[in-house]
Amino acid sequence: MSAPADHASIGTYLKVAAILAVITALEFGVIYIRRLTPILVPLLIILSVGKFALVVMYFMHLRYDTKPLTFLFVAPLVLAVALALSLMTLPGDFLLFKR
Amino acid sequence: MTTGGPRRVAGAEPAAAYTSPPTARAGHPAVATAVISWLTTVDHKRIGILYGVTAFAFLLVGGLEALLIRTQLLRPNLGVVSAETYNALFTMHGTTMVFLAIMPLNAAFFNYVIPLMIGARDVAFPRLNALSYWIFLVGGLFLNASFLAGAPPDVGWFGYANLTTRPFSPGPSVDFWLLSLQILGASSIIAAVNFIATILNMRAPGMTLMRMPLFVWMALVVQFLIVLAFPAVTVGLIFLMFDRFFGTHFYDVAAGGDLHLWQHLFWIFGHPEVYILILPAFGIVSEVLPTFSRKPLFGAQVMIYSGILIGFFGFGVWSHHMFAVGMGPIADAAFAIATMIIAIPTGVKIFNWLATMWGGRLRPSVAFHYAAGLVGLFTIGGLSGIMHASPPVDLQQHDSYFVVAHMHYVLIGGSLFGIFAGLYYWWPKVTGRMLDERLGTLQFWVVAVGFNVAFFPQHFLGALGMPRRIYTYSHGSGWELWNFVSSVGAYVLGLGVLLFVVVAVRSLRGGARAPADPWDGRTLEWRTSSPPPVHDFDAIPPVYGRDSFWREKYGDARGQKPAPRVETPDPHGIHLPSASIWPIVIALGLGIAAFGALYHLALVVIGAGVTVIGAFAFALEHHRNPAHADQVGNLGVDHRKLAMWTFLGSECFLFGTLIATYVAYNGRSVVGPHPHEILNIPLTTLSTFDLLMSSLLMVLALAAVQRGDRRQARLWLAGTALFGAIFLGFQAYEFTAFVHEGLTLQTNLFGSTFFVLTGFHGGHVTLGVVWLLSLLVLDLRGRLGVQDAMKVEVAGLYWHFVDVVWIVIFTVVYLIP
Repeated sequence: MSAPADHASIGTYLKVAAILAVITALEFGVIYIRRLTPILVPLLIILSVGKFALVVMYFMHLRYDTKPLTFLFVAPLVLAVALALSLMTLPGDFLLFKR
Repeated sequence: MTTGGPRRVAGAEPAAAYTSPPTARAGHPAVATAVISWLTTVDHKRIGILYGVTAFAFLLVGGLEALLIRTQLLRPNLGVVSAETYNALFTMHGTTMVFLAIMPLNAAFFNYVIPLMIGARDVAFPRLNALSYWIFLVGGLFLNASFLAGAPPDVGWFGYANLTTRPFSPGPSVDFWLLSLQILGASSIIAAVNFIATILNMRAPGMTLMRMPLFVWMALVVQFLIVLAFPAVTVGLIFLMFDRFFGTHFYDVAAGGDLHLWQHLFWIFGHPEVYILILPAFGIVSEVLPTFSRKPLFGAQVMIYSGILIGFFGFGVWSHHMFAVGMGPIADAAFAIATMIIAIPTGVKIFNWLATMWGGRLRPSVAFHYAAGLVGLFTIGGLSGIMHASPPVDLQQHDSYFVVAHMHYVLIGGSLFGIFAGLYYWWPKVTGRMLDERLGTLQFWVVAVGFNVAFFPQHFLGALGMPRRIYTYSHGSGWELWNFVSSVGAYVLGLGVLLFVVVAVRSLRGGARAPADPWDGRTLEWRTSSPPPVHDFDAIPPVYGRDSFWREKYGDARGQKPAPRVETPDPHGIHLPSASIWPIVIALGLGIAAFGALYHLALVVIGAGVTVIGAFAFALEHHRNPAHADQVGNLGVDHRKLAMWTFLGSECFLFGTLIATYVAYNGRSVVGPHPHEILNIPLTTLSTFDLLMSSLLMVLALAAVQRGDRRQARLWLAGTALFGAIFLGFQAYEFTAFVHEGLTLQTNLFGSTFFVLTGFHGGHVTLGVVWLLSLLVLDLRGRLGVQDAMKVEVAGLYWHFVDVVWIVIFTVVYLIP
């Protein structure tokens, strides 16, 4: 069992939760701003990645835990993203690779 | 039903309390007691034996199916079996050999040998280990029950869509196949998570990662392959299950579905599966050759890195099974290059094995025969594999007997020869009896000759144009001679495998007693008696470096022996896990539910009920047991936390595949409603906010449990569960509204992908809510204190993961136009 001192403080948790709430509100808001349409997809992905990272690093304590745990999660995550991108690309529409 | 608290076993420590294992209780235990002790065992050695015996029985079944195939092909125009039966035979042969024979035979070695090799007393989760075995048995029996039901699967072990969909396979045969694969997949993932935690966290002091035996290293790579590769085929099978049971459109071309999707999902799993089957054999050979060459393994570190690279690249080559589908030159080139690259680390292994033998004092034991045989025969299979890496060449050989020859040189010449090497090598350790080396040598030559006569001519048959999976051929095709030779070889190979049974039975009945170290071994398993005591080692063995036991006996390269260490037994005695009935109960429940899915809904409910009750009993069986309190291992992390993070890595693949499918199919529905017409973004933003805040409550709950504040712990646990329930309420409302607006699972491709993706996430949330409520009930009953914080932390990790998955789903499904 990791000692509580190794974890973030309650204050940090509350700040992270506040940031998550703000980002969620931003995500909701930006989809209605027409001028952002050209950059909407990358913007939404960046916001989503930011939320994902905050939960994993602070709520799941990965920032405070041992490196092997980070490896156990991040390595499969990166591989899963790569495979998911391949799957989006290879079947059907061939978004990147042309037949 | 258990035998109570953890057993304490006397080893070298005179002061330890002694409770003998169940089998030794009365000296001559009654049959019932013996049977119950095996049904409830959690001892890694016994589970290893169970895996070995069961898998060998399935090997014989799969072999019998192969002999029927070869009998049908012995001469042209034979009618030994019908075309339909032939289809079932090659389907069941492939599925049986991959999932019920080779994989579990490897698992037998993992179970028996790995804890001994790393100096541990058992695996990290002994009861989960038993659960893996019983689920595997249920899956294997369920698959073969299809014969009794008169509906054996007949779609090939790869089950290509849309041959597997209801219009083309209307009976229950494919249902048997897909449900059994799901069950077997669950068994494999549970076992893999367990062994990753065991290997990373339970090594004896001094056993650094680079000092681990090669077999343990290859096993570790294989466990990662399992946890990361199985989710893809699991998702593919879930889609198939929904198509067959609920009328979705994942593999329905008319509705916009793409049949290539199944091929991708299957081979994303299927190619790593090849390494799941072969790397353990590489590990065994890497133990056998140094022992019988009396030399250290040449370039051991490079061998480790090669194994890791093979595993890594194994994930990037799956589409070389699909060159014939027309993926285009860029995709073909990328997968061809990746496939050819794998030959490099594989070649490194071959040359290092040769270098290990070179100049060694070779002892031609049967195990050595098989290991050396693997080096030669796998190389033949590997070389024909490189030929298939080239798309133009592959197009010529695709679906021909050349591929059958290649595959069997890899899986028999590689995997099975490695397994036989391991059987002969570790048999004395497991049984305490030596095998007859002369009869064993004869058995090796019968197998080797039979195998080569059976499969080498299939290269010629392929070159002559004989396709795979044809149940007969005509006179004058030019295939008669080599088919006849191949069939004769198959009979000889079958005889060789049966001869092993004779060798084994003779050993058990009257074989010479095996000493602890019959082969002058190099690794820790030879340091304990044959067979080992129930607690493996009287004291955890010291580790002096790579090949620790060898160093202990003969010293390092300069002959300097390590200073003997005083082995101090644990003053508190040796704690061993108690037997448990719940693993078999849970597995039984799964089996009942699977049969129910085919025959009656009531059975599904009963099976699910048995599984849930079993799971709760399993989870609470050792709650507050002091022997389970401290599970911190080598990494400084609790086993449970390590296992949960490993599992979450696997879950990344599961949800990654589900989300990728949603994206790949987005916009392909041929009828509405479409996403932009129906998705309620404001409402989902609220539910997203709710789930995010539940994660905040979860960390507050954990912090409260850690500081012993029971009132706040209850408050935040209840709050987290409530927020989870609210999220599920939002989802139920959304689903109901969609149904009212005309969107169901069956409406179109969007409905199929949306409901399955978000439904599976909702299922995960439901499981999380039940988990949290269980913790809350424990707390209300005063059974959740500071010492239980790890349980809350592990539940929290799961809960937060469900949260981050929703963050991605919210963006991909709802926000991105």
